[in-house]
Amino acid sequence: MKRFKLLFVVAALIMALAPVGAQDVTTVTMWFGEGSTLDCWGPIMLEFNDVDPSVQLEIVPQADTWNVTRTAVAGGGGPDIVRTPGPSFVYEMAQAGLILPMDAFADEMGWGDFFFDWALDLGLVDGQLYSLSDELETLVMYYNVEVFEANGWTPPDTMDELNALAEEVEAAGLTVFSHGNASWRPTNEHFVGEYWTQVAGPHKVYQALSGEIPWTDESLVGAIELLDAHMQAGWYGGGVDLYFTNDGVYRRTSLAEGSAAMNIEGSWAIRGTVDYFNESGQTWDWVPVPSHDGTDYYTIGMGNTSSINANSQHPQAAAQFLTWYFSPATQGKMLTSCLKGPAPVAIGEDVMAELDPRIARLYAELSDASANDRYGYTTWTFWPPKSDVYIYEEVERVWTGEITAMEYSEGLQELFAEELAAGDIPPIPTR
Amino acid sequence: MAVYVQTKPTTIAEKLADETWRRKFLRNVLIPWIFICPLLIIHLYVVAIPAVQGVYMSLTDWTGVGMNVNFVGLDNYYELFFEDETFGKALGNNIIWMAFFLTVPFIMALFCAAMLAQVKRGGMLYRSILFIPYVLASVVTTTIWKNLLNPQRGIGAAVDNLLGLEDVFGVAFLGRPDSALMSIAFIDNWHFWGFLMILFLASMQSIPPVLYDAAKIDGANRWDEFRHVTLPGIRPTLLFMYMMVAIWSFLAFDYIFLLTQGGPGGASEVIATQLYKNAFFRFQAGYGAAQGVVISIFAGFIIMIFVTLRRRGWDI
Repeated sequence: MKRFKLLFVVAALIMALAPVGAQDVTTVTMWFGEGSTLDCWGPIMLEFNDVDPSVQLEIVPQADTWNVTRTAVAGGGGPDIVRTPGPSFVYEMAQAGLILPMDAFADEMGWGDFFFDWALDLGLVDGQLYSLSDELETLVMYYNVEVFEANGWTPPDTMDELNALAEEVEAAGLTVFSHGNASWRPTNEHFVGEYWTQVAGPHKVYQALSGEIPWTDESLVGAIELLDAHMQAGWYGGGVDLYFTNDGVYRRTSLAEGSAAMNIEGSWAIRGTVDYFNESGQTWDWVPVPSHDGTDYYTIGMGNTSSINANSQHPQAAAQFLTWYFSPATQGKMLTSCLKGPAPVAIGEDVMAELDPRIARLYAELSDASANDRYGYTTWTFWPPKSDVYIYEEVERVWTGEITAMEYSEGLQELFAEELAAGDIPPIPTR
Repeated sequence: MAVYVQTKPTTIAEKLADETWRRKFLRNVLIPWIFICPLLIIHLYVVAIPAVQGVYMSLTDWTGVGMNVNFVGLDNYYELFFEDETFGKALGNNIIWMAFFLTVPFIMALFCAAMLAQVKRGGMLYRSILFIPYVLASVVTTTIWKNLLNPQRGIGAAVDNLLGLEDVFGVAFLGRPDSALMSIAFIDNWHFWGFLMILFLASMQSIPPVLYDAAKIDGANRWDEFRHVTLPGIRPTLLFMYMMVAIWSFLAFDYIFLLTQGGPGGASEVIATQLYKNAFFRFQAGYGAAQGVVISIFAGFIIMIFVTLRRRGWDI
């Protein structure tokens, strides 16, 4: 009888204590790509666990995050926080009912107070908020300051100035742009998007994206022709065939060591640029990509998005984490500590003052451009998936002489018209 | 006197009542099935059912995300064969790939195996050296060769520097539409042919030496021996590998994707790389499934040729 009583007391104690450990703490899971980004971002994201002990974040490193996430979520599992490579991926997941609309959380937790208005619109699918943009991106022209000073060059503002400068760069035995796509073939789309914006102008691109004008419009085809001419002239990596074999290491080292003068690349490349220039002991700086009339246009893009899994058992806790993660304080810390491109949120001036002035200037200029109608569109953010793949795959056929710029544009128009009619276009900020 | 006559059970009831029959049934039928059942169930679950699902998906407009699926009949196949110009190009590249792999590695492997079969001392060392590339992961092999073929820091550039030349040997083999596919085939073959050579060598070593002695007595030279003794002796292995390599040629993916991702300008695109892009980049998983089915049909066609030859008495 004594033994029975003892057992009863132990069982009662276990039952009484169990809820404290098992039910009071909610774990929110997030899958994240392995590597140096996680090494820097991870510890900062885990600081969330100190904010509210009842909600804990668990980061699970994955080798091929997006494909693993997509498969798991479609199978009824996956992490609570679903990260996608961009808005077009969100669209497909929202249509399939795999992620939750987050409008109620946005209202409850005041996301509109710190996100820019247009930024929340980017996460809309059929009028409901499904994702938050994680990394604000743009493309600029980096250059090697020592090379420019030694040759008495100044960074170009217009395409004509760029033409003149390129001749001088080649005469000096240097490569104009340190480019190549061997490491990442979609690099091609960076240049297509930039030439459309800088040569034809962002308003033309907006009209084409809205279906008001076709992609075969003279100005848009002209931009592709100019890009092809520059490619054929060997500006990009020293020649078309070399462009296809130059990898990421070449891109960074040739600019940092001064064998190439410039490089049109994204704001995401700042971290790598800083590292390589620190190693070479030379100095980098940036200017906006030259345009046809000298106006400083900045294409806007989003690197990743975050959503809440429709299978999540803890959507409220997941939203709580997103609120903390996208807060200007957290984003500011990730910007200063890891040079992470910030989410489109209003980061305080005190944080920006801590940054390298060149980086602070980049985000200030981008913010100014978006407020003053000087922004353009990056292809991976605003184009539907089939058109996007077409843009970076088929442009190679223009560069290899298989098709003309007009044929390329006609192919894009045909595909884009299908996707536009099907309503597959991601939300585009209106002008 | 009663005579006991043992009759063979005919009805199920009689059979179950007969202990001898029960034992035979248990030993010859039930127990083998019990042992094979787990494998069969796993096979059904991971191969047969997904294969049937794949065929079904090829008749839909599935995006690959969620289960929002609409039946579109043979639309995907129509588009594949009559509208998609890039598919024809990819198929052509697959055929070039197959032609390369049914000749170059076979000639190299046969020649080397025939030479190594004669080597008595150090043969194992040679075999091991030639086999090593086969055990390297494709990521490792492609990284090595990407650097070796790099026009600015690879072998070609080194030769140019040595000879004081400019861009003579430093050619961007992987960056030119006319050389990209063959360069990838060369790299894949570098990794593959050693495997083929080892198979042929093992097969050659099982040929009775007395056949070579008899050939020598008949006045055969080395070429005659190879043609009339070695080749017929390894014919089953040779033809089986022909069939396998032909099938594998339609599955070619990893080396191409790792080295050029189908570029430049689709010059090295094959059906499998197209399928991957359709399914995972363009959200056309249904269309990609149709391409997968087409690959399977090609493989089935190749197998059918070999089965037909076997039925006609070929020693395969």
